[in-house]
Amino acid sequence: MLRLALRGLATHKLRGSLTALAILLGVAMVAGTLMLSDSVNRSFDDIFSEANAGIDVSVRAKQEIDAGFDLPESGVALPESLLPEVEAVDGVKQVSGSIGDATTIAILDENGERIGPPQGGPPHIATSVEPEPFTPYTYIEGGPPAADDQVSIDSFTAEEEGYELGQSVPITGAEGVRDYELVGISRFGSGVPLGGASLVEFTLPEAQRITAKQGEFDQIAAEADDGVSPDELRDRIKAALPPKLVEVRTGDEIATEDSQDIKDGFSFLTILLLVFAGITVFVGGFLIFNTFSITVAQRTREFGMLRTIGASSRQVLSAVIVEALAIGLLASIVGIGAGAGFVKVLLAIFGLLGFELPQSGLPLEPRTVVIALAVGMLSTLLSAAIPAVRATRVSPLEALREDGGKPAEAGSRRRSIIATVLSVVGIALILLGLFGGSDFGAALGTMGLGLVLLFFGIAALGGKAVAPFAAGIGRPIQRLRPVTGQLARENTLRNPARTATTSSALMIGAALVVFVLMLGSALTKSVGEALDKTFTGDVAIFNVDGFSPISARIAPGVGDLEGVQSASPLAAAGGHVEGTPEGEDQLIYGWDAATLTDAAELDWVDGSDATLADLGDDGAIVESKWAEDNDVAVGDTISVLTPSGETVGAEVKGSVRDRVSLLVESVALPIATLRDDFVTRQDALVLVSFDEGADFDTVRTEVDDLLATDFPQAEASSQQQLKDDNKEAIQGAVFLIYVLLTMAVILSLVGVVNTLVLTVLERKRELGMLRAIGASKRQVRQMVRYESVITAMIGAVIGTAIGIGIGLAAITALADEGLVLSIPFAGLIAVLILSALAGVVAGIWPARRASRVEVMEALQYE
Amino acid sequence: MEAATQPTPAGPQADAIVACRGLARRYGEGEAAVDALAGVDLDFPRGELTAIVGPSGSGKSTLMHLLAGLDKPTAGKAWIEGIEVTGLDDKGMTELRRRKLGFIFQFFNLVPVLSAEENIALPVRIAGDEIDPAWLAQLLEMVGLTDRRTHRPSELSGGQQQRVAIARALASRPAVVFADEPTGNLDSNSSAAVLDILRGAVDGFDQTVVMVTHDPRVASYANRVIVLADGSVAADQQVAGEDEVIRLMREL
Repeated sequence: MLRLALRGLATHKLRGSLTALAILLGVAMVAGTLMLSDSVNRSFDDIFSEANAGIDVSVRAKQEIDAGFDLPESGVALPESLLPEVEAVDGVKQVSGSIGDATTIAILDENGERIGPPQGGPPHIATSVEPEPFTPYTYIEGGPPAADDQVSIDSFTAEEEGYELGQSVPITGAEGVRDYELVGISRFGSGVPLGGASLVEFTLPEAQRITAKQGEFDQIAAEADDGVSPDELRDRIKAALPPKLVEVRTGDEIATEDSQDIKDGFSFLTILLLVFAGITVFVGGFLIFNTFSITVAQRTREFGMLRTIGASSRQVLSAVIVEALAIGLLASIVGIGAGAGFVKVLLAIFGLLGFELPQSGLPLEPRTVVIALAVGMLSTLLSAAIPAVRATRVSPLEALREDGGKPAEAGSRRRSIIATVLSVVGIALILLGLFGGSDFGAALGTMGLGLVLLFFGIAALGGKAVAPFAAGIGRPIQRLRPVTGQLARENTLRNPARTATTSSALMIGAALVVFVLMLGSALTKSVGEALDKTFTGDVAIFNVDGFSPISARIAPGVGDLEGVQSASPLAAAGGHVEGTPEGEDQLIYGWDAATLTDAAELDWVDGSDATLADLGDDGAIVESKWAEDNDVAVGDTISVLTPSGETVGAEVKGSVRDRVSLLVESVALPIATLRDDFVTRQDALVLVSFDEGADFDTVRTEVDDLLATDFPQAEASSQQQLKDDNKEAIQGAVFLIYVLLTMAVILSLVGVVNTLVLTVLERKRELGMLRAIGASKRQVRQMVRYESVITAMIGAVIGTAIGIGIGLAAITALADEGLVLSIPFAGLIAVLILSALAGVVAGIWPARRASRVEVMEALQYE
Repeated sequence: MEAATQPTPAGPQADAIVACRGLARRYGEGEAAVDALAGVDLDFPRGELTAIVGPSGSGKSTLMHLLAGLDKPTAGKAWIEGIEVTGLDDKGMTELRRRKLGFIFQFFNLVPVLSAEENIALPVRIAGDEIDPAWLAQLLEMVGLTDRRTHRPSELSGGQQQRVAIARALASRPAVVFADEPTGNLDSNSSAAVLDILRGAVDGFDQTVVMVTHDPRVASYANRVIVLADGSVAADQQVAGEDEVIRLMREL
């Protein structure tokens, strides 16, 4: 039986290779993602263990609030006065205080623009010169800066920008732009690119000045005397310093931790890629299922014959299973190899976006091989299981039937019931995920599972839905081409279950695309409306990358310009309001109460603009929805933990509704409190309003000139520009998701190709007959192509409907977060048109094969 | 045999609907080469039902395939209404099938997703025309399926399906209908009905039909029987009745 299965595989190369392609693509994504992740992780470990190799013990400021995607990097640093205290600890050979700051500086090109991708990209990091053995740098050319107007820059940046020693490089920071002489080109740590980040080394005083950390350090490093172990020294230093202020760790611990921080950031990418790999595997499963279903149906007579000569149903089952496993194994092995190619493609895409991922080869860990093989073989096995069982039901009698035996079709009651239950449970889970109020991760998981069940359910129910959809979609085609159109439409109905599974693969892609489209559109509209309502000023100043902070000197500078009524700075920092859930930190805004309402309109729930005037030094304004969720009321006194571990008390004086968190997400405090107690050295944004009657263009030009000269990392945007930027950013994210969905969509099209090719084989005699009664090759091609289009469109239409459905549900669920509905009509129409085109493309090859069928084939018996 | 039906080496006779000269087909090469058809000259005048008979391997199917342009000869030429079939490209062949040819297959080969009348109208529609309703009604009447016009092939018996196939072959009023073992898959009652209809088309519309069969009883419906043996014409004559056909075949 084994021999037979393998022989069957060898003779049916076509169906084998298309199935294999389905497995291969999914496995390649899984294996590639794991390889990339291993490679990047290993590189980061190397970079940081070498960069920290000379450090026995590191002292850093304690960070009470973890920065992350939603909370800004804190500006908490160590006072210089700690340096002698560390030096005085017994067993310390020498110490070094240094700056390492990733949020403040920007290297500029000759036009005064930030180098690298225009929308920001990887950070520019300011560091200070350190003596041996502490310095993480080695020099390819030149050496460290010796004067305040000199810098050294890492070799990757230097190469990218074509820097040469001795040239002048403008760099901006907290205090405006300066020109520096390039005196060194360096390697950091083990010398692999740090995710595209640029590293600039200044003298210590200059590093402190440019990051507004005069009199402060980000780290104090210590070298141990001979005979003192790093662990021992760490404990001694710890004992000597105030524990509330500092975090003391050995060089190894720091290396691990620094590396881990970046790896954690990167693991998001790994998970994202794995999710899309999962989607691809899922879609591939439909293709495999369909291929096996069709071939089992076509081989009915073969199975019946095997039964007549004495094969047991178990033997028939194992023949199909062995075939599946053999394909799964082969394809998985090739898929692991193709994973390396997938990594290349990914790296190329990231490279285009300006992110250089560090790499140390492509390590093939045993774990990667095991997971990839398991994914490939299990998905094949599961997908082939139902068709395999169906093969066992073939009775010996069917071998004798003339017509090869048509599969008993679509609407067995049990199948319908199971499919309905799956769909209902799926929808219930999606709704539970959306409205269940559990945390984000769990909600996503529940929704994902719900979607999988829903997709299965609809695929199984689809057989019933095919007829009306085929009629609806086929009608216009039939009007265009009466004969071939009608035949194409009728052909999709021959085996509705098969058409349904084929189009289901496309349905999944379409549903996800439409869902993302809906969310993106809603997000764009929500932010746009909120901007309209809340931002009443003339321009707002942000960092060019859209999220990093900007110099605190911008607001006073712009405020002094002629024609400017006021420039109101907003600061932001992470904090934790006492009484809110542990581990859930808040973004705290700092307001300039005197000028805020010049450029912003607050949606007061409790209080008025007059409340603002009354804010004082210790007043707070809360976001009404957040306050309600956290049982905070006007009149309460709240305590907020700052990043440096202090606690700030404030009285809640009013509450405003801010659905998209433009001005306040949880709590807003006076900006002075943020600067003093939260150590925010920079501003998040500045809202500018012009004098009444001032000429917009004139004042705007003045603002632009000031920024371009002194603070090129910031830019002023009008309301419309803000909306456009926001739209662009959302479109960028949506586009990235589309790119990741590409594999799944391609695979679903391969599924259409696959089904049609197998169908063409099945209908050879009929195709020959059509040619005999006068059909031209073109007509035969048309017929197959339209069948492809109809199949694709069924998937696209159902998928679009599902996408709109879950999109609507998600937007409703997130209404409290400020999402408002906006139907992306143009996008939806584009999805449908592109699906039709994809159907045409998928039909090309099967159509060509079909048109090659000769009339003779209609005359022949077999 | 009339003088007019004598083949002339130069070309087809003026009144022949289908004709061939020196038509030969060799399969394989060198030692293993087999001459399925070894140079045949024939003319088929209008309004005749001709049966090509012969044992398996006699070349009867090859002859039909070559006459109908389904296969290319290794030597010789074939014409349909004066058009040289053997010289046509795919496009020309498609055009010829639309205008001049009808086919009836052993396995009916109807389009399963179309009703009886849609199947009948299909060749006309494929050619880009609409079938004349009166003509369609007449065809349905002729094959006795007026009351089953909306049934799909799976709802029809084998004999009924083959009757649909005959109506389909006649729908475009072709110059000639080729039938390949048209009763090979039918019981004797259905066979008789199918052959009566074919006979009726020949007598009623002056339709030319060329039929391949190995069954003398089927051949007895023909005006003329051509017996092939080893790729050559062994007998070619007008017949009347089954016995004569059997005798003819037995002589060989």
